[in-house]
Amino acid sequence: MSLSAATSSPRTRRWQPYLAPLGLFIGLAALPFVVALLSGQSPAGVLANEAGSAKFIQGLLIEIMILAIVALSYDLVLGITGLLSFGHALFFAAGAYLTGVLLKSFGWSLGATLGLVLVSAVLQALLFGVVLPRVKGITFALVTLGLSEVFYIVVQSRELGQYTGADVGLQGVPPPDFLNPTSHRLTFYLVTLIFTFAVYLFYRLFVDSPTGRVCVAIRENENRALMLGYNTFYFKLVVLVIAAITANLAGTLHALYQPVISPNIASLNAMVDILLMTLIGGLGTLTGAPIGAAIFRLLTFFLDRWFGESASFMLGVVYVALVLFVPYGIVGTWQRRGFHLAAGRRWLLGLLTGRGDG
Amino acid sequence: MTNLLEIHNIHTFIGQFHILEAVSLAVPQGSITALLGRNGAGKTTTLKSILGLTPPSEGQIYFEDQPIHGYRSFEIAALGIGFVPEHRAIFRDLSVAENLRIAERRKGDLRRKEEFIFSLFPDLKRLIHLPGTNLSGGQQQMLAIARALVPDNKLLLIDEPSEGLAPVIIEHMMAAIRQLSQEKTVLLVEQNFIVASQLAERYVIIEEGRSVKQGLMADLVDDPATIRRYLGAA
Amino acid sequence: MLRKYRLQLITLAVLAVLFIMAIQGMSAKDGLTIVIRGLSVGAVTFLVASGLSLIFGLMDVLNLAHGTLFMLGAYAGWTIYVRPDTVVDLIPPLALLLVGLVLMPLWPVLLGRLGRMPAAVWGWLGLAMAGVLLLISLPSIPIAAWSARDYAQSPVSYAIMLSQGQLQFPPAEATGPLSPAVALGGVLLAGLVLGGSLTVLSQRHRGMRVRGQATPPQSPPKGRRISLSHWERVGVRATAAGLLLLAGLLVLALNDNLTAWLLGLGTNWLFGLALIGGTLTAAALGGLMEMTLIRPLYDRPIYQLMMTLGLAVVGHELVVALWGRPEFTMPKPALFNGVGDGCPAESWAAWLELHCSTILVLGGRIRVYNEIFLIIVGLVVLVAVSLLLQRSRLGMIIRAGVQDSDMVEALGINVRRVFTLVFALGAGLAGLGGVLAAPSIGLSPLMGESVLLMALIALAIGGLTSFPGAAVGSVLVGLMEQFIIKYGQIGIPLPFLEEPFKPSPTLVPASTVLLMVIILLAMPQGLFGRTE
Repeated sequence: MSLSAATSSPRTRRWQPYLAPLGLFIGLAALPFVVALLSGQSPAGVLANEAGSAKFIQGLLIEIMILAIVALSYDLVLGITGLLSFGHALFFAAGAYLTGVLLKSFGWSLGATLGLVLVSAVLQALLFGVVLPRVKGITFALVTLGLSEVFYIVVQSRELGQYTGADVGLQGVPPPDFLNPTSHRLTFYLVTLIFTFAVYLFYRLFVDSPTGRVCVAIRENENRALMLGYNTFYFKLVVLVIAAITANLAGTLHALYQPVISPNIASLNAMVDILLMTLIGGLGTLTGAPIGAAIFRLLTFFLDRWFGESASFMLGVVYVALVLFVPYGIVGTWQRRGFHLAAGRRWLLGLLTGRGDG
Repeated sequence: MTNLLEIHNIHTFIGQFHILEAVSLAVPQGSITALLGRNGAGKTTTLKSILGLTPPSEGQIYFEDQPIHGYRSFEIAALGIGFVPEHRAIFRDLSVAENLRIAERRKGDLRRKEEFIFSLFPDLKRLIHLPGTNLSGGQQQMLAIARALVPDNKLLLIDEPSEGLAPVIIEHMMAAIRQLSQEKTVLLVEQNFIVASQLAERYVIIEEGRSVKQGLMADLVDDPATIRRYLGAA
Repeated sequence: MLRKYRLQLITLAVLAVLFIMAIQGMSAKDGLTIVIRGLSVGAVTFLVASGLSLIFGLMDVLNLAHGTLFMLGAYAGWTIYVRPDTVVDLIPPLALLLVGLVLMPLWPVLLGRLGRMPAAVWGWLGLAMAGVLLLISLPSIPIAAWSARDYAQSPVSYAIMLSQGQLQFPPAEATGPLSPAVALGGVLLAGLVLGGSLTVLSQRHRGMRVRGQATPPQSPPKGRRISLSHWERVGVRATAAGLLLLAGLLVLALNDNLTAWLLGLGTNWLFGLALIGGTLTAAALGGLMEMTLIRPLYDRPIYQLMMTLGLAVVGHELVVALWGRPEFTMPKPALFNGVGDGCPAESWAAWLELHCSTILVLGGRIRVYNEIFLIIVGLVVLVAVSLLLQRSRLGMIIRAGVQDSDMVEALGINVRRVFTLVFALGAGLAGLGGVLAAPSIGLSPLMGESVLLMALIALAIGGLTSFPGAAVGSVLVGLMEQFIIKYGQIGIPLPFLEEPFKPSPTLVPASTVLLMVIILLAMPQGLFGRTE
């Protein structure tokens, strides 16, 4: 697996990878106004939080970006560092629930809540880290899956029902006024946008940094990294802490944005969704994660519309097909093949005559 | 003398690595042929490519004049090719008897060959009920060879039989291989040139994934320059 | 010897002390009930965990869809038990579909005449065509089914009807426009096309084990095939296909009589049939899954894990779509369901006469089905699989393959077929567990996930590849669960707390996960795992 995220670009082209995201950032910041203009609304209406397609688009993009942050953090763990964790939903759900409970039941301010979320994120990462030096590979996946299932179960238990809303979910989290997604949609949208890009840029820098390269080396061959004298445990722990903090903050955004925090965000299904997003985009590419999140959200949107109750079934089928046929995802396949026209034609010809790559 | 096995120009990849980049060789019926070369030259991969364990992506392999490349390993082995892997890879969790029985291709194979096997390796008879993990290194190597003798194999691929064994045991092993070669053709990978030169009638030298030289062992023994060049000091 | 197993011994000693601490102060009756219930839960968990450990040991595949296979087995068993008419309706199309698959070895011979194997894309086209054919034909075949949406026709209602002994089936209805005969022909054709395309695809995938190389592995040279007695095999297959066809048509002709006969058998025999049917369904699904979806991924373990995870979700959704979301029951067979005078039975002799659902042991009521029958079946499976592993040739190959499957293949053994067999065997055990568990825990689309969690914990505790470890781990998990449930009633006096802490039933799985994490921290390989 040689992935371009690992290879550093020459010094002269050092800033080039950041140009496209910057353009995209400006584009996305302007998008609500463009949509408003196209649908005959005035841009002032967007600022005044008028209902309409501009507001709808903002909502959809907020959801996509929250998912993108989660997918990014998971890509760092599995795609870049090669840590097979099946407990990533725990990070997201814990952030969401903690924010919700602190804001609603304890009446904390947003700042204090964020502080505790950060502390709890580090603790979660340490919890995963405790087992890290002892168990490897599939056993690590099992332990993390188990830990996140425990959270899923505990959150639904009767004892905590008054705080978490048990299996119904946590409702009525009061967001602070200036960040209320209903009355100040644009502010919320821009905050999410800035946060998403900050996370992406930070991840990019991290992966290109010496520490990040050691992480890639751990994925490729942990024993070799050990023999080179790196204490791989600390690197893996750092990755877990970073990923836990990002995913927890995504959970905070989720708690502020969604009217209900459902316990399902901690379930096995949620884990499959996170995997699916990362897979669609391409494991270990970073760029793939937001693309995967966007496609995933739109896919669920349309599958719900077309198939109604069997939407989850279709989503599962899509997932299975992806694992089988497009294991490197969109970005990964792009980087491997280059999708040149001539190659595409040859591939098609080969497919029909049986001389293709079987 | 006809060739039991012929390899024409095979290429084998393991992952992204091009391990064999043109290996051609012939193993005449009834001979012992030694595959020589430095560490990492591709000797073991050649054996595994014959068996389809690391299938070659190019080139042809003929066994008894029939093409066998591209078939599954078990189909190739069933034609009568026995494999004695390196590092004495017997099944450690199985008893000696089970290690032999698992190699049966037809019912009663073991009963028919028992006498011959135990005449070659009398130790095994005594150890028959012990688990493989309790055997000494030499005994494990004998078991690995014996296992390949259970079915009716015509060709034996033996990988590093002398590796890590005491000199006395190596003597015993060489005697056994010499005796079994009266009935079977052998392709032998051997690091120890002295062992190889005493056993084999023919040799093939592999370097960096290419077969570079082959001929009669008697000629090679008289050619110290070649030995030094391809096999290091010997 | 002692030193080698020191850690194991210490852990077992700690567990034993904990066990004694937990059980002391309880009456003999309570203690016995807990242990027996723990063993019963352990038995069901073991049926799932054993298959998981066999599969993981041999193929290094952690099958996260194993709980789903358990669930599918349970639902299939329920269907046979409660709605035999549906099953009878389903047999003809299924048999016709299988005809095509049984005839698969015929295809290489036919295609060999073409001179060259068709390109993979034709295989995919064939697959799509078979799918379309099935979609067109199946609705036109009359099948008496339940409906997940209409309450009166829902599985819930049928389960209640059966337990009240007044089962009434709706007539078989077809929704499609085709005549049933044409539709059955369509299914037969679909099966043949399916077999053909699968042949093409599997031939194209030869040598898939090599990854990422510059040029793909060659396909075998044409002309003489190595495999011996090809025509002989074809002959056997053709006979089998003919018999299948005949059986399918026979069932079609005798449909109503067969249903009546099945219903006349009584619940005991039907339950037996459900056990067999559930096991076979899960085994077939497991084998199919290995052959088509797992096999291409043997060199990408992470993707394999993701695949099984996805299949777990797909299976779950399938169950929801077919049987609906609500939970329903599977009434116990008459053998274990006696009530009335003399029950609970005071002795085994009395039980044999009355078939009471409960029996008195040491003054405690023990449910015969849940707490005795299940444990016995678990023990039987434990002994049978151990015998299979230790005494049979297949077991020998499995044990050898766990260590080095390449070498087994190099001995001339078709390891791939062994893989499929073992996968089917493991899935079958899970299916058996599903049918067995259904009468005691009921059926719900969530049963798969919870049993998978239990089995995974049991496996991690026992050591992932160890078969005896799976048994010990399952029993530990079962006992742990029952103790926590019991302490949920009487409470645990904890320091710093005024009232004893009463864990609620939802916290039970949390405690078992905790047990797993602690044991794994002490012994990363589990109790019986091999240390690398």
